[in-house]
Amino acid sequence: MNVWLLGSSVLLFALVPCGIASFRGDVMERLVGLEMAGMIVTLLLVMLSEGMGRVSFYDLGLALALLSFGGGLVFARFLERWL
Amino acid sequence: MSAATIAVEVLVWVAVLTCLICCLGIVVMKDFFERLHYMATVSTVATVALLIAVVIQQGWGQAAIKMSLIVVVLFLMNAVLTHATARAARVRELGHWQPAPDEKIEGLDQITEGRHQR
Repeated sequence: MNVWLLGSSVLLFALVPCGIASFRGDVMERLVGLEMAGMIVTLLLVMLSEGMGRVSFYDLGLALALLSFGGGLVFARFLERWL
Repeated sequence: MSAATIAVEVLVWVAVLTCLICCLGIVVMKDFFERLHYMATVSTVATVALLIAVVIQQGWGQAAIKMSLIVVVLFLMNAVLTHATARAARVRELGHWQPAPDEKIEGLDQITEGRHQR
């Protein structure tokens, strides 16, 4: 197991506080937990693809970064006015 | 163990520890607007540390270019998302996001004075 795979295993524990933040508090506070989780998982995918030595897997991280950006914006927009 | 390997390991653990501390900050902080700030460190320090680690390990190849794209997306995304989320929270609270006439905001007078002088 190289340092990238070990680091990604430790990084999984960063999702626990994000989950806690997403399960309690106001709806806007939950959204912060979701946005943070999106960023953490993006970095996690990057570290996994580097650890496994597959450059093509970087596309997963890039796709997740773009999609979590769109998703976060849509959530923020809807929570601002309609929900 | 070469210097490059040590540098890669240090950078990876810097990124991982930054993410862990910032995620804890999201849970520990009581105020919503304080929580938002913790996303910025992840999108700058952790991503740039990982980019440097990838460049050291693989050189300027396909992996480094893709990682650079991810860093740019996360960097820009965090700025826009933080603003949009904070604005949405304020609109939910007040109905609008501009300062109320009787609201005390630190430094607001200097900004408005600067506008009048122009």
